[in-house]
Amino acid sequence: MIESTVDRKTRKFRELNFYDQQEENQYFLLPFRFHRLNDAKEVLVNEVGDHLVASAGTVQLLVSKQLSKIEYPELYGDLIANFFISEEQIPPLIDLYATRYRTKKSFLDGFTSLHIFVISLRCEHTCHYCQVSRVTQDKGTFDMSLEHIDKGIDLMMRSPSQFLTMEFQGGEALLAFDNIVYAVTRAKELAPAFGKEINYVICTNLALINEEMLGFCKENSILISSSLDGPSYVHNQNRHRPEKNSYEMTVKGIELSREILGKDRVSALMTTSNLSLEYPVEIVEEYYNQGFRSIFLRPISPYGFAVKNERKNKYETEKFLSFYKKAFARILEYNFSGEFFSEDYATIILRKILTPFPVGYVDLNSPTGAITNVIVFNYDGSVYASDESRMLAEMKDYTFKLGHLDTHSYEEIFYGEQAQKIVQVGTNESLPGCSDCAFQSYCGADPIHNYATQGDMIGYRPTSSFCHKNMEIIRYLIELMDSDKNIEQIFQSWVKQRT
Amino acid sequence: MVKDGEILVFADFNLYSKDAVFKCLYWFGDKFHTGVSFIDSNTYCISLRPLSIANVNSDDLELYLQKLERDLIDYQLRDTIARETQNIRDLLVAKAFSNGEFDEDPPGDVSDPVGFNPNLASV
Repeated sequence: MIESTVDRKTRKFRELNFYDQQEENQYFLLPFRFHRLNDAKEVLVNEVGDHLVASAGTVQLLVSKQLSKIEYPELYGDLIANFFISEEQIPPLIDLYATRYRTKKSFLDGFTSLHIFVISLRCEHTCHYCQVSRVTQDKGTFDMSLEHIDKGIDLMMRSPSQFLTMEFQGGEALLAFDNIVYAVTRAKELAPAFGKEINYVICTNLALINEEMLGFCKENSILISSSLDGPSYVHNQNRHRPEKNSYEMTVKGIELSREILGKDRVSALMTTSNLSLEYPVEIVEEYYNQGFRSIFLRPISPYGFAVKNERKNKYETEKFLSFYKKAFARILEYNFSGEFFSEDYATIILRKILTPFPVGYVDLNSPTGAITNVIVFNYDGSVYASDESRMLAEMKDYTFKLGHLDTHSYEEIFYGEQAQKIVQVGTNESLPGCSDCAFQSYCGADPIHNYATQGDMIGYRPTSSFCHKNMEIIRYLIELMDSDKNIEQIFQSWVKQRT
Repeated sequence: MVKDGEILVFADFNLYSKDAVFKCLYWFGDKFHTGVSFIDSNTYCISLRPLSIANVNSDDLELYLQKLERDLIDYQLRDTIARETQNIRDLLVAKAFSNGEFDEDPPGDVSDPVGFNPNLASV
């Protein structure tokens, strides 16, 4: 009886040596990837995105099975605790590890959640980087018909996701405000019957916004996503209006929108043009001065001016990275002086690095966010795999057209041959150059970008601007965190959900 | 070595796998014509010849040689890790996308130091 009491299994902590499972200095490698951070350091990243920065040569020591627990107790402990090595062939906590892997991929559970309605292609701006919009009064040709709005909403209601986002884009979406009112009213009517909770977003340059429109937005909890490219001398050059007053109208629109909807209901996005590259600090300061506490330093879009020109892309990416780092330094200065101010692209990547959760950002998902996360209903009823796909279509390339609202069923659009083809090449775990990359779990696959810039959906990483940009930004963020613990604290504050 | 404007590296077949060599050379394809051949049954001959449009100076070739040698080692390490961990990775992914039917209970009983038996409570 005494013996059975002693043998009784318990989950209380045992003596330290109980947990030492090592036999004859043996350990087993678990799947991980590594990257040289700089001459002195390398970073190891495991299958769920946990990272460990170590001295150069650590991986060599590890793989040759010469890492001694006695000699490097702290490093050895970190490697065990973070699933880089195991003292048993199958780690005892493999089910926990599998759960973490499942959590990282849980963005797939809801399938398509973001539904973009290109409510009108008409616009009163003539921005030089926009390949899409038309300056015209022809509503019949360039506005989405009520019939197509109905059909788009019907497809949206079939999404497996409980939480949906219905985003109205243009052209200038507010030119078809009546149609937005119609669409929101109908979606709201149908949502309870389908068990959906819908967020509504209007993307607008704010030139046409007025109190009546904002009243409707307030009533229906609609978010406003505007465009601000920087100070007036950058914004007005990028965003042409005959009156040359786009900046003034945007700023006025932001103020009015904040007044009626509340500050947190109005956001702004910038597009980096060649001109913007000369003003990284000024652009950040403009956002700060306009009361924003974050900025999305969006890379130059390859659609239009740099398509299928690999060398030019590489040059443009170098210039963008230089711009990004200068702007980022100014952002960190605000944080060091006690102000919260974050960069959105870094925050997306940092959430992947520092938290166990996935981030539903279309461009950095694997499998690709196109189709599995976002779908676009174009003004003419055509359905596209992403916003970029419809931009290619405006350049007469219909590779990513999945069907039409008049002629194709939900199954044909979302599970059809073309959709399968796109998603199949949109998994970075199996792409050349990506499959061994340490930053795989922080990055994504973008077959549409590959196609647009390199001519095929799989792409070629050594000349890929997508790869070049993401590799360097991820490396830079990890290096910054490793070099200064205060920066890591700042980054931690960015990834926490702010209320 | 660097010879006649070309980088040549000899690698032992027993030390470097074919996968490691090709995965390493993949990343040089934007600047170089890449070549791999056997000079005997145990030795690879790896060559890198600059693309005419790549603007690689002859002074840079030594740096690229160093990078190639370093990358070959790194890709061999990656290959070793991939081979050693393939089964556990497959198991991990299979478990992650199963519905928990293959999960095992954690070892040991849940103890009951304060008289609340969670095993009974769940019945």
